[in-house]
Amino acid sequence: MDDDTPAPRRKPYDLPLPTPPDVLRRGPLREGTFTSALHEPRTAVVIGRWLGAALLTCFLTGLLSHVLQQPPTWLRDHLPSRPVNGYRVTQGLHVISGIAAIPLLGAKLWTVYPKLFEWPPARSVLHALERLSIAILVAAMLLEVFTGLLNTLQWYPWPFPFRQTHFWLGWLAVGGLLLHVAAKAPLIARHWRRVRPGLAQRRAFLTAVTASVGVVTLTTAGQTVPWLRALDLFAPRRPDLGPQGLPINRTAVQAGTSTVPADWQLTVDGPRPLRLSLAELAQLPQTTAELPISCVEGWSASAHWTGVRVRDLLDLAGAPADARLQITSLEKDGPYRVVEMPATYARDPLTLLALRVNGQVLDPDHGYPARIIAPNRPGVLQTKWVTRIELI
Amino acid sequence: MRTMRTTRALLVLAGLALTGCGLYGIATDPYIDLAQHPFDILRWAIGGLVLHDGLWVPLACLAGVTLARSTPVRTGLILAAAVTAVALPAVLRAGHHNGNPTVLPLPYLRNWLLTLAAIALLTTTWALLHHHRKRR
Repeated sequence: MDDDTPAPRRKPYDLPLPTPPDVLRRGPLREGTFTSALHEPRTAVVIGRWLGAALLTCFLTGLLSHVLQQPPTWLRDHLPSRPVNGYRVTQGLHVISGIAAIPLLGAKLWTVYPKLFEWPPARSVLHALERLSIAILVAAMLLEVFTGLLNTLQWYPWPFPFRQTHFWLGWLAVGGLLLHVAAKAPLIARHWRRVRPGLAQRRAFLTAVTASVGVVTLTTAGQTVPWLRALDLFAPRRPDLGPQGLPINRTAVQAGTSTVPADWQLTVDGPRPLRLSLAELAQLPQTTAELPISCVEGWSASAHWTGVRVRDLLDLAGAPADARLQITSLEKDGPYRVVEMPATYARDPLTLLALRVNGQVLDPDHGYPARIIAPNRPGVLQTKWVTRIELI
Repeated sequence: MRTMRTTRALLVLAGLALTGCGLYGIATDPYIDLAQHPFDILRWAIGGLVLHDGLWVPLACLAGVTLARSTPVRTGLILAAAVTAVALPAVLRAGHHNGNPTVLPLPYLRNWLLTLAAIALLTTTWALLHHHRKRR
């Protein structure tokens, strides 16, 4: 790989390590094991750029999703409820770039594979540390794309919790990427631009990798991009398949809310507390808004929701304008049975306590009798089967 | 030269900081609970490395020097591998939706086989044209 690396200058702080005896240089450690002309830096740089961009996109959109789902105290009152499709776009991009990273990661690791068997295995302490950081980077990347892809299928064959592990491994992956770029910076700089004449084999390989990225993207992105829906062959969701033409993440049976108590009433806290039956809610002024359900697993679907503005309910209850809400569902358990809603969302005129979707009374799976639907918000926070709204 | 040195130093510092954050997060996250499950993540991380570098890439290299001797075949195999990596979990998992039929609602096995067939057809056509052109 380092075909044209100048002899490294000896750094005073870098302790050299002895080369092991040559009898140990067996199997793939021998010179000339890998014959393809494509195990070379220019190919690695071109694919690495795309993979790096995909990883950074995943990291930034992932951080954003994490913040929106669990806002830190200092940030929670500054999260914007607009643009309406903000989370839909960023989380869709998270999963799209994660899936695109799969062929890129495969191609990148194949290209640099001979480096795994470089001789001597470690020239110096610094070199050994660099190789350790690459092991962390590769392990983190492989586990990230694997757990991320399987999570979109709601498949969890591993013993650790998905969300926390996926989040922290992302830091390890990006940290490893920065260390890797630092270590390879001179090599990357030398191969940043194409040198003519190009290598015909390289062009063919890069074309094949680009086509692979195109195919896996086009056959999965339809779970969030409406005009790619017809090409959705492998995504775990299709945005028009489900009760009332919308997918769901947790069914009424799974949540234990298929039968709603006959005396169901919505309770709204405040200086003038409210208790409203479904009929009374339907008597209040109704608003219809087109809003997306955008799931952390990367699918999203738009629908026309009709119901009472949360803002109007809060005004009826005499709530102060800066009140944060705590919204409770009829669910027996689950991490999102009780969620908080910052004032920016509560006061947005598009935030509804929806009673109907696409003109029909909500299906139990969509949260009958009433659910929250707000712009620019992760799906898990769009509380279904709402029973109580409190001020905090 | 100096900008390069400064950039590299900053990248190392940022890289170490982010790696430290990640390790600290894994070590202290109450849901991960590393004290009770010290090797769960490590075992999967090392397992992934071993399977990928010890099994998958050697197979890919072997296919590269035996089967994939021409550009069309190589391109077809790369496409098929990419599609399979993304589609196989859905193919294997089809039907397991824990009572939520909106998860995995598509005929994934059929879609996967049809896509592979389309790739094979395109590759074969291309290979024949390629061969034909070369012979002329």
